[in-house]
Amino acid sequence: MVLEATMICIDNSEWMRNGDYSPSRFQAQADAVNLICGAKTQSNPENTVGVLIMAGKGVRVLVTPTSDLGKILACMHGLEVGGEMNLAAGIQVAQLALKHRQNKKQQQRIIVFAGSPVKHEKKMLEMIGRKLKKNSVALDIVNFGEEDQEKTEKLESLLAAVNNNDTSHIVHVPAGPNALSDVLISTPIFTGDGEGGSGFAAAAAAAAAGGVSGYDFGVDPNLDPELALALRVSMEEERARQEAAAKKAAEDASKQGGEQQAGSQEASSQDATMTERASASTSEAENKTTDLMDDENALLQQALAMSMDEPAVVHDVKDTDMSEASVDDPELALALQLSVADSTKDQASQSEVLADQSAVSDILASLPGVDLNDPSIKDLLASMQNKSEPQQKNDDKSSNEDKK
Amino acid sequence: MACLHDHSCEDHDCSSDWSLYKHIDLDKVSALNEATTGSVKSVFKAWEHRLNTSGEHLESNEGDPELIVFIPFTSDVKIKSISIVGGADGTSPSKMRAFINRDGIDFSDAQSMQAVQEWDLAENMQGVLEYQTRYSKFQSVGNITLHFPDNFGGDTTKIHYIGLKGEATQLKRDVVATIVYELMPNPSDHKTRAETGGGFSHVE
Repeated sequence: MVLEATMICIDNSEWMRNGDYSPSRFQAQADAVNLICGAKTQSNPENTVGVLIMAGKGVRVLVTPTSDLGKILACMHGLEVGGEMNLAAGIQVAQLALKHRQNKKQQQRIIVFAGSPVKHEKKMLEMIGRKLKKNSVALDIVNFGEEDQEKTEKLESLLAAVNNNDTSHIVHVPAGPNALSDVLISTPIFTGDGEGGSGFAAAAAAAAAGGVSGYDFGVDPNLDPELALALRVSMEEERARQEAAAKKAAEDASKQGGEQQAGSQEASSQDATMTERASASTSEAENKTTDLMDDENALLQQALAMSMDEPAVVHDVKDTDMSEASVDDPELALALQLSVADSTKDQASQSEVLADQSAVSDILASLPGVDLNDPSIKDLLASMQNKSEPQQKNDDKSSNEDKK
Repeated sequence: MACLHDHSCEDHDCSSDWSLYKHIDLDKVSALNEATTGSVKSVFKAWEHRLNTSGEHLESNEGDPELIVFIPFTSDVKIKSISIVGGADGTSPSKMRAFINRDGIDFSDAQSMQAVQEWDLAENMQGVLEYQTRYSKFQSVGNITLHFPDNFGGDTTKIHYIGLKGEATQLKRDVVATIVYELMPNPSDHKTRAETGGGFSHVE
């Protein structure tokens, strides 16, 4: 929570058109800048951040240090790539901008994105570094883009000249699959000299790490044990409920639309747990003071995806249930098979099963609470019988056609 | 102007004269171009310990003798004179420039601005030299900035003790110490007299 005024120096030279960082070096840089601005303003509400460009027509301050994040993001919009970077002038202008900050109590920091080759002499950079150190300005250097032994040496010597008690850092980001912002999140530039980091940075890091390593439910149990536990408990509850519902469905197998009922029941119960989960995750997010937008979105997406996929899930559960049940009770297994067969609309097998009137009546007799003399059940049996006959006829016809 | 003590210090209690260090706001003391952050606080101590060179002291960065020391006070003070004990072997400062009641002076400001008063210092290893101020200009000092642009040829500048003689006025500068920020207005905090069931409003 250090009170700090930061100036970010952006490299918008021609070298930034290269696409070795996706989508382009300049775009990756812009994303990183946005992230840094967010992190700085989050860690202390009185922090200010300013932005200047080092290339283009010349060094130009886009926005003087301000705590208004919207202003900073707006000025990043519509930046043009072109020209050559002037590192020395950029740092000196940044120092001047910081000198005229409104709140003199803020510590001064400059963050430089050095993408293109450095054309200044090492001595000149060291002199600039010493001047920064003398005026107690910290400097963070992000070395990305062009990889050049000489450039690295110059930047390292600049850092050595500025560094006072490890307040300044340098980060080398080679081109690769990871985005520039993701690499920077774990560096001291974000975590603020190892104080333990702002909540924003930590949450963003966790979200990135969680996505890569694939925790259950996409939530790090270390970061948020309550949410992870709630998700796990609700998943187990849902599974138990589905098993109970499947058994109930087997009992109601003969009743017209019984399966549909069970199916819709399960669907609605699953929807309920999905929304519960989503609301639990949103309330957790709200409780936290930091903005976990990434986490929340990921969870909601997951919830939506799961509810979309729920028919398949229901089937999977039923299949597992069947394998469990078949060992115990062959009649129950048959009933389950019947219910599954109905939902998959497998006409042929269904008609075969239904046609076996004796088997059906046996099943019905074995089920508790079902009275064969009940008129509704008699009607049902009759209708099933009628249905099976035309179906058989259709099947014969279709098989004949196939043979032809 | 330097003055030597014309009495032996055992008779006269010098330390009570040099007690302005008690009115310094030590937390907010800062220095520019110091080698170790925070070492500047060690130079403000009692008169008896001014020659104690074994502990921490203020040292500038290698190869750069310039130093700026910012000293805020807890209340307005009147400064009569200043005493500086420097280091040996040419590391003592040779010049001193003072600025009054200015915040956030850095090296470029110090070089361009006109100082309130400037002194040429001598090496003061025994700690008996004191430099008098133009008292009329140092009547209500909330903070003072001392700029030491040069030394006697050493690689760095070392200062072991800065003493201030004068009196404290008990007057505080108008500083708002605690501010409660209100992100959203809370109506209960802003009850008008009418709402509390109140009195007659009168227009004068």
